[in-house]
Amino acid sequence: MSHGSHDENNIQNLYEGDQSKLYSGVLAHHHDVKSPESKAKVAKIWKITLILSIITIAEVLGGLYLSEVMSKWLLNTIFLILTILKSAYIVSVFMHLGDEVKWFRFCVLIPLLLFIWFIIAFLYDGGAWLEFNQNNPARFDYHQTK
Amino acid sequence: MSHSTTATTPKAFGGGRSPFNVSYGKIMMWFFLLSDAFTFSAFLISYGTTRFFSAVWPDPNHVFSSFPFMEGGDKPLMFVSLMTFILILSSVTMVLAVHAGHCNDRQGVVKWLLWTIIGGIAFLSCQAWEWTHLNHQDAWWASFQDINSPKDVYTHFFKPEVLATATPEQLSQSTNNFFNFFFTITGFHGAHVTSGVIFNILILVNTVNGVYEKRGHYEMIEKVGLYWHFVDLVWVFVFTCFYLL
Repeated sequence: MSHGSHDENNIQNLYEGDQSKLYSGVLAHHHDVKSPESKAKVAKIWKITLILSIITIAEVLGGLYLSEVMSKWLLNTIFLILTILKSAYIVSVFMHLGDEVKWFRFCVLIPLLLFIWFIIAFLYDGGAWLEFNQNNPARFDYHQTK
Repeated sequence: MSHSTTATTPKAFGGGRSPFNVSYGKIMMWFFLLSDAFTFSAFLISYGTTRFFSAVWPDPNHVFSSFPFMEGGDKPLMFVSLMTFILILSSVTMVLAVHAGHCNDRQGVVKWLLWTIIGGIAFLSCQAWEWTHLNHQDAWWASFQDINSPKDVYTHFFKPEVLATATPEQLSQSTNNFFNFFFTITGFHGAHVTSGVIFNILILVNTVNGVYEKRGHYEMIEKVGLYWHFVDLVWVFVFTCFYLL
């Protein structure tokens, strides 16, 4: 390997130079491409690829054939669960967030909880306006043709 | 030669290194992506609000039912599934490039980055075709504003039973809103894919020139990889919101 040997005790020198070396390269894991660990990681990547493809195909088939026979709410709930499942695989395995330390994971994921409120509040608002407009034809005349 | 990480990792908050065990650049990439996630969600949630506000809405199985070089529009969702698959595969080749970087395998990084760039360009070409196709059906930003248009102009976009009962105002308003959101959101996503392809080309040139080999690590591939995966992640949500729900 090209980077040779390193003085692991001299962290401060590395810190003042390229601090990425502390976490990514020289002192961190470097294994051979042909090592069993490396092959296991690649096998995991292809396994996740297979899972993501199967979920996508299931979603498309659901969109094509189940929209006529299933209640819209149930089908949409299934779509949303599958979407969140797909994104969890991408974030945790492809983006390696699953390999980061616990508090870094929380720093990235906890702010996303705001979306729960955003989605409920804004969709409720949209639905409330639709109801209001339909029950008050004088305010917003849907049926008048010009 | 292999070093174990645990042997050199001091206690968190002991000073000298990040308690997150992540470099500054990677933390900032994550926080940028977090803010970008809020931008995309603002778009998608306002799309949802408008949809809930509307009495009728175009049906994705009708809007997106064409495939290049095949006559007739009876292949709903097929083309967009192909686009989704291309983007997922380019995300896979990117994670393989990152893995090759972990192993200091320059040839592997070059090979997988090339595939990622090809996937990105293929996706953008598909998107260009889809936009052109919709534009030929008169869809664009601020299109379908005329409530006096005959119902025929909406045939491509609605289920027949919805088209039969909806008022001209409902058809005009919802189609106009639908395409404003569609072109804005997929356009913003496409701009991200474009910049991602440019970043990928830059790091490919650096890899070929041996910049990262001299540096001793391939962390730049990881950082650009995070961006690229995020673009794929956004598409997962765009796909659900526009094509499935």
